[in-house]
Amino acid sequence: MTAPPLAADPVLAAFAAAVGVDGPVAVEGNRTRWATGGALAAGTRLVQAPTGIVHHQAEEMIVCVRAGTPMAELAAALRDRGQRCALADLGGTVGGAIAVGENHLLVLGCGTVRSSVLEVRYVSAEGRLIRGGGPTVKNVTGFDLPRLLVGSLGTLGLIAEVILRTNPLPATSVWAMAADADPFAVRDALLRPAAVLWDGDTTWVNVEGHAPDVRAQLAGLRALGSFTEVAGPPALPTHRWSLAPADLRQLDSTEMGAFVASVGVGMVFAERPQPPRTLSPAVAALSARVKANFDPTGRLNPGRAPGAR
Amino acid sequence: MKLRRHSGRAHDGGPDAALVADLQAAIGRDRVRNDSAERALLSRDASVFDDGVAGPICFPGSTAHVQAVVRIAVRHGRAVVPRGAGTGLAGGAIPLGAPVVVSLTRMNRILEIDHDARVVWVEPGVVNLDLTKHLQPLGFHFAPDPSSQQVCTLGGNLANNSGGPHCLAYGITNTHIIAAEVVLPDGEVAMLGGLDAEPLGYDLRGAFVGGEGTLGIATRIAARITPTAPAVRTLLMSFADVRDAANTVSAVIAAGIVPAAMEVMDQRITRAVEHYVHAGYPTDAAAVLLAEVDGLHDGVDIDAQAIAAIGREQGATEVRLARDDNERMLLWKGRKTAFGAIAQIAPDYYLHDTVVPRAKLAEVLAQTYDIAERHGVIVMNVFHAGDGNLHPLLIFDAREPGVLERVHAAGAEIVKASLAAGGVLSGEHGIGVEKQAYMTLLFTDDDLDHQNRLRKSFDPDCRANPGKVLPSGHSCADIQLLTAVPQGMWV
Amino acid sequence: MDLGIDADELNTCVQCGLCLSACPTFRVTGDETRSPRGRIALMRHVQLRDAPLTPEIVQSFETCVQCRGCEPACPSGVQYGRLIEQTRTTLARTHRSTPRWLRLAYIPLARPRLLRAGSVAIAVAQRLHLVPTRLGLSVRIPLRQQPIPASGSDVYLFTGCVMDAWQRDVHLATQRVIEAAGFGVTPTLAQAPCCGALHAHAGLTDHTRRMAHKMMAALRPDMPILVDSAGCAAAMKDYGHLLGTPEAGAFSARVFDVQQWLAQHIDRFPKVAPLDLRVAVLDPCHLRHVQKVHLDTRVVLRPFVRELVELDDDGLCCGAGGAYSALEPALAGQIRARKVGSIDRARPDVVASANPGCSMHLGAAGVPTLHPMQLIAQALPGRRPLD
Ligand SMILES: Cc1cc2nc3c(=O)[nH]c(=O)nc-3n(C[C@H](O)[C@H](O)[C@H](O)COP(=O)(O)OP(=O)(O)OC[C@H]3O[C@@H](n4cnc5c(N)ncnc54)[C@H](O)[C@@H]3O)c2cc1C
Ligand code: SF4
Ligand code: SF4
Repeated sequence: MTAPPLAADPVLAAFAAAVGVDGPVAVEGNRTRWATGGALAAGTRLVQAPTGIVHHQAEEMIVCVRAGTPMAELAAALRDRGQRCALADLGGTVGGAIAVGENHLLVLGCGTVRSSVLEVRYVSAEGRLIRGGGPTVKNVTGFDLPRLLVGSLGTLGLIAEVILRTNPLPATSVWAMAADADPFAVRDALLRPAAVLWDGDTTWVNVEGHAPDVRAQLAGLRALGSFTEVAGPPALPTHRWSLAPADLRQLDSTEMGAFVASVGVGMVFAERPQPPRTLSPAVAALSARVKANFDPTGRLNPGRAPGAR
Repeated sequence: MKLRRHSGRAHDGGPDAALVADLQAAIGRDRVRNDSAERALLSRDASVFDDGVAGPICFPGSTAHVQAVVRIAVRHGRAVVPRGAGTGLAGGAIPLGAPVVVSLTRMNRILEIDHDARVVWVEPGVVNLDLTKHLQPLGFHFAPDPSSQQVCTLGGNLANNSGGPHCLAYGITNTHIIAAEVVLPDGEVAMLGGLDAEPLGYDLRGAFVGGEGTLGIATRIAARITPTAPAVRTLLMSFADVRDAANTVSAVIAAGIVPAAMEVMDQRITRAVEHYVHAGYPTDAAAVLLAEVDGLHDGVDIDAQAIAAIGREQGATEVRLARDDNERMLLWKGRKTAFGAIAQIAPDYYLHDTVVPRAKLAEVLAQTYDIAERHGVIVMNVFHAGDGNLHPLLIFDAREPGVLERVHAAGAEIVKASLAAGGVLSGEHGIGVEKQAYMTLLFTDDDLDHQNRLRKSFDPDCRANPGKVLPSGHSCADIQLLTAVPQGMWV
Repeated sequence: MDLGIDADELNTCVQCGLCLSACPTFRVTGDETRSPRGRIALMRHVQLRDAPLTPEIVQSFETCVQCRGCEPACPSGVQYGRLIEQTRTTLARTHRSTPRWLRLAYIPLARPRLLRAGSVAIAVAQRLHLVPTRLGLSVRIPLRQQPIPASGSDVYLFTGCVMDAWQRDVHLATQRVIEAAGFGVTPTLAQAPCCGALHAHAGLTDHTRRMAHKMMAALRPDMPILVDSAGCAAAMKDYGHLLGTPEAGAFSARVFDVQQWLAQHIDRFPKVAPLDLRVAVLDPCHLRHVQKVHLDTRVVLRPFVRELVELDDDGLCCGAGGAYSALEPALAGQIRARKVGSIDRARPDVVASANPGCSMHLGAAGVPTLHPMQLIAQALPGRRPLD
């Protein structure tokens, strides 16, 4: 008994062939985050990842999906069977969402992207099909390549297909809003809010679960502010700031402009971009070794690096 | 005045004298041990593997100590092996080739809680259950709860990416590690990950978790703390056939319920456990299923009732709701001491840790019993059913001639059956030295090559816990280079 | 070398490590050679693999407090207490380790602070003619300073050998409490001078056997024997196993920890106003891990005090361990510091401990510690309130 080679799947084999073995190459999704991590070097050949949902096993809480599949399609298919996943539908593709690695607005409810990718199948810089991780919700067999690839912007391997963990949709999900609440107290008062948002004045919360629990939580919230139910979250400013949750207590709107902050998460959506962050020298050196080992010739997504602006 | 009369041999600290002297000079005499007793004990963990050979043992008290130890080891051309409580079941902490063993047990302070981030900073030697107990009065706990939680350390949990019954709903350790300060195998210190929402760069923290000590040594860990739910319902269901229990588990998940935990024990293990804890486990049932839901008061009742109904549909002969916290604790104590309790039946155990799709649980379980019978060994099953994570325990008495071969043969077949059902090799115990040989059943040479690239990025010279995880030929198997077998070893 | 341990018993340990955190010496050192799993592994190395008995191995065995906290933590039912007692017996017999009483006899002379604790054991040793005269202890330490009068013959109260002022007060209090429940008490006094627990710990089990025989012959076979020292009761409850005779078994069955006995008769006490105290219960190891009757202490104390609080360390040993605190002062001190931390977090007015050794050990660290019987005696009518 040996591991089945991925190349037996003609779709994956075709993708690997398209990536080839030399020359700069990148995967083109829907270009919704095309500029993230720096501008792609001129002359880079673009390839498309395969599309389609391979299988969705709701009772196993997994879905196997090709990387080029539009997020909208995946989200709809999961919803049809009462499920969801950690990836946000921001108009892009599944592979793009993983390569960029941005978490869902409801990350407290549906989990992080990095924890939801159970298996990755990708094409290496040498044009080989590589499998990392495994199809089960729990797996520690070997090193964690899926996590390494989440947020790697295609600089370590080009994602062809993934198996994602799915979760049942909550029975009820309600947004509520109050202009007079302390968002930090709100967050502490709720057991598992899916989101607590705050723009400096107004607080929005998303509470999910069984209907009676949701009602009870909303009733409890009234002690903390004059909450009323609303249809959804506020419009989010474009730029993502990644901060520590404690930083949210002293946000500076002169620096970031109008903002909506995700309390307990540290993500802030702001009018202006976050000043560049830097890696410590030790982490930068380690990251460089990772890149050099996975892509010795630097042909994968040249010009891009996670975190670069 | 010190009065000690010894008739044992003189101190045998002969081997590695220069190395030991350097280590002692750097971190203090009382933090370095090199006698044969210490070396013998630290050459083992909770696995059955006993070919390890430990070099000098260090008990650092700080990141600076760890860094000093690693640098000295590098200078002496020796590998290092981090060690927590030594409860690993795959031999991860077993030193190969007399490396310097870095015991993190004295770095056991809980440093600081960040309530906004819901994170606690700890040193790696903090015991899992101590952390949870520390957090309890504040309304929090550390969610990963391996059955060894009263002894295993956060560092070991992180390195093995450990799971536990309640990881079904809450996720395994990796989900709960936010950042880690690590001493890399060359002695550099790096902070991987961070408290900010989406830390910059590659997810090196995510890659480090589960590295089984081959990527460096964690010296400070930011662990997620989880609010403790106000309501809990724990159900104990009995079945006349272990397959009915397995099918109940699939049916619950298929119904869209993700309980906090779902654990199954077969009859043999239930009897051993009941004998130890007297929790009221039914010893006449072929299998018991322990299911727990937590959350808010109404929701847990809704879910508990739904689970009970599914259990009855699947043929449960008894469905019982734990009356109070006391009964609940006892039931869990029983489940969590299951591995240890089997020694009442035989003195040795060997177990695998495969994961199979839930829908295949019943089928693979039946195969484990067949396989064991064919090889003339006893198998007992106790497992994280909700995750499809099997723990078939092959129990035996190693003194019986030829039994080890039969045990290993049965183990190999069980692994193959699990993988054939679409499963994976290890759900939570890791690969260590125990399961390397099986890696090629699951991964191609190319796959393993890429795992090795990750490994090499952290440890280009194979200095951290060499000889682990990846099968020889795919990694730093060349530990001979780093070997210096000391004289005077008697084990 | 053959330690004389039963091979099957030695093999029951599966090396799982679940006992590590229940072991006080591992807790403070993080060192496998100071852990039950490690000690068992070393016994195996010595007995089964013929490893030489190095000083480090002897030390590993000697640093064991013999609190037996590892036993209830072990799901495999490893009888660690038996293993270590057998090991110590063999080592003592073959002169591989210095017998504890001898080491003990020296240490207090050099360390006046420890004399109080040490004098107990020396008195015992002298009584049993264990201390060679060349040690120059010419004055015989008295075993009993004031007689305790009998009040009836419903139950025996085992007064044992530990004889300093503190302990005498405990016996008197205990007797008062038992009488308050309506039982007539016969103190055993010279009829049963010693239970032999310290000797058993030191590996001198032959002496313990002799004492057991003596005590069994001296006491009437139809009276329950109540004991107010957890270590003594544990030893006496083990006579059945130690001697292996039906008579010894029957004797052991008549031995009760005083709290254990009173818990069954709690309704016989008069209703009294509880003492206005917050009391933390400290479970002596031999009550909790060996006799496993520590919950009875709570049952008995609860009506007599305002508030009972639990410590948060799962009954981890305090480091007293009979003579241990005198023999391994450094380790015992570290272990005690951990216990004191736990006590501080519980913020009690007073600590209740049903074992004299623990009380002295904690008392030496400034922790006010009383026997549960002393507290109850204070609450009973006709007593001055505690100052
Ligand atoms: C009875 C029993 C029940 C168990 N139940 C479970 C269970 O339910 N779930 C589960 O997942 N596991 C379980 N285990 C396995 C084991 O307890 C876990 O793997 C645990 O996380 C190991 O922790 P440890 O402190 O003992 O680590 P060790 O065994 O000492 O080390 C484990 C690995 O971690 C490395 N390591 C240790 N500290 C560090 C550090 N600071 N930095 C880097 N690497 C480090 C070591 O090199 C080694 O590779 C069980 C074991 C036993 C004996
Ligand atoms: S004594 Fe018991 S708990 Fe300790 S290692 Fe041995 S089997 Fe495990
Ligand atoms: S008796 Fe006490 S000190 Fe000795 S090994 Fe057991 S727990 Fe540790």
